[in-house]
Amino acid sequence: MTFDTALLAKHLPELLSGFRLTVLLAIAILAISTPAALLLALARESAVPALSWLSAAYVNTFRALPVLVVLYFTFYGLPQFGISLSSVAAAMLGISIASTAYLSEDMRAGLRGIDPGQYQAARALGLPYWRTIRRVILPQAIRIMIAPYITRAIIIVKATSIAGLVAVSELTGQAYGLISITYRAIEFLAVAAILYLALNAVLALLQSYAERRFARAGG
Amino acid sequence: MDLDFTIVFEAWPFLLRGVWVTLQLISLVLLVSAPLAVLVALARNSRHGWIAGPIGVLSWAMRGVPPLLVLFLVYFVLPQFGLPIKPFPAAVAGMTLYMMFYFAETVRAGLASVDAGQFQAARALGLPPARTFVRVILPQALPSTIPPYVSHATEVVKNSALTASIAVAELTGNAYQLIISTNRAFEILIAIAIVYGTIDAVLLLLQAKAERKNLRRALR
Repeated sequence: MTFDTALLAKHLPELLSGFRLTVLLAIAILAISTPAALLLALARESAVPALSWLSAAYVNTFRALPVLVVLYFTFYGLPQFGISLSSVAAAMLGISIASTAYLSEDMRAGLRGIDPGQYQAARALGLPYWRTIRRVILPQAIRIMIAPYITRAIIIVKATSIAGLVAVSELTGQAYGLISITYRAIEFLAVAAILYLALNAVLALLQSYAERRFARAGG
Repeated sequence: MDLDFTIVFEAWPFLLRGVWVTLQLISLVLLVSAPLAVLVALARNSRHGWIAGPIGVLSWAMRGVPPLLVLFLVYFVLPQFGLPIKPFPAAVAGMTLYMMFYFAETVRAGLASVDAGQFQAARALGLPPARTFVRVILPQALPSTIPPYVSHATEVVKNSALTASIAVAELTGNAYQLIISTNRAFEILIAIAIVYGTIDAVLLLLQAKAERKNLRRALR
């Protein structure tokens, strides 16, 4: 058993293009789920029972399901309803639907971390709801949310790997494809693992930067 | 678009076989990874850098890569080393390898919650270290690990779906076969979603029961 560096060098461009798609997918999923999760968290905490109930139903449903099953819904299930998505779009949608549920719970914890007196004070001052959220609550909640948000972002990066199972050529999909062509595995999987870990390390750095920055702004 | 759930009833025996494999897989992974997690937690807490260091790095790496990649590592790389492995054992090994480090972190948190005075008291009574750990420390550390253990257990349930990709005939894998052969994705997926939801609900019930039992024991 050897580590075939020549073979790896030959196929490295494919792995790197897979990595690029992984990064793009993760960014797109975060861009979709972040605002959706915030709305869902606000709905859950709202005084309107129907909104709160609907939000809870969404969150509890999608947190109970494997992301792969949600992905199969968007990729194999939607065409039955006349909606055919490309594999990349289906992966983006499927993983976003699932991630939104988890992320909204993280954000709810952040919203809960704000003293209720802040809401009451804003109302007493006659501040409208959205303005209260945007100018009073969020600036304080963001500081609490940074760590769980980055943790969630890392989970999302890892979740993009299942897109490979519906023929998206992201990092894991590319590695899998190369394994089935070359019958070698360790070379591609080792590089894929290193790239995932590097991406996570970057996110961790981003977290410490954000935490320092918001700590100063809040101080 | 018309939904036809008769397919689910027709194919039920096939799906049920998948449920059975999923349950076996989950139980084995939970059984095997719990004691390993205690060992990993002890290794990470070790005073010896040559033990704590490498295990810490391994733990960080395993928790940083996608579970799918860990499954591929076991399933495709072992044969490269002359160790052919069947899908089911590879699935158990891969998922255990991935989950035990998460479990180890919850065990570590549980151990940290035990008062240091307990160690000192046990030593003062002349209890050997191994016995101190098993009879004094662990029983106090375990209750607080139950809720995170169960939430990781639901992760095991959900991650078990990934093993379909290495040809394990569990629930999602069998559902996939049906989807491809019948084109009735929506109906089949609703059916398996209900099964996963039920397994999760059972785990949550067990958690509530275990917590009540511990509470009673603590009050006694």
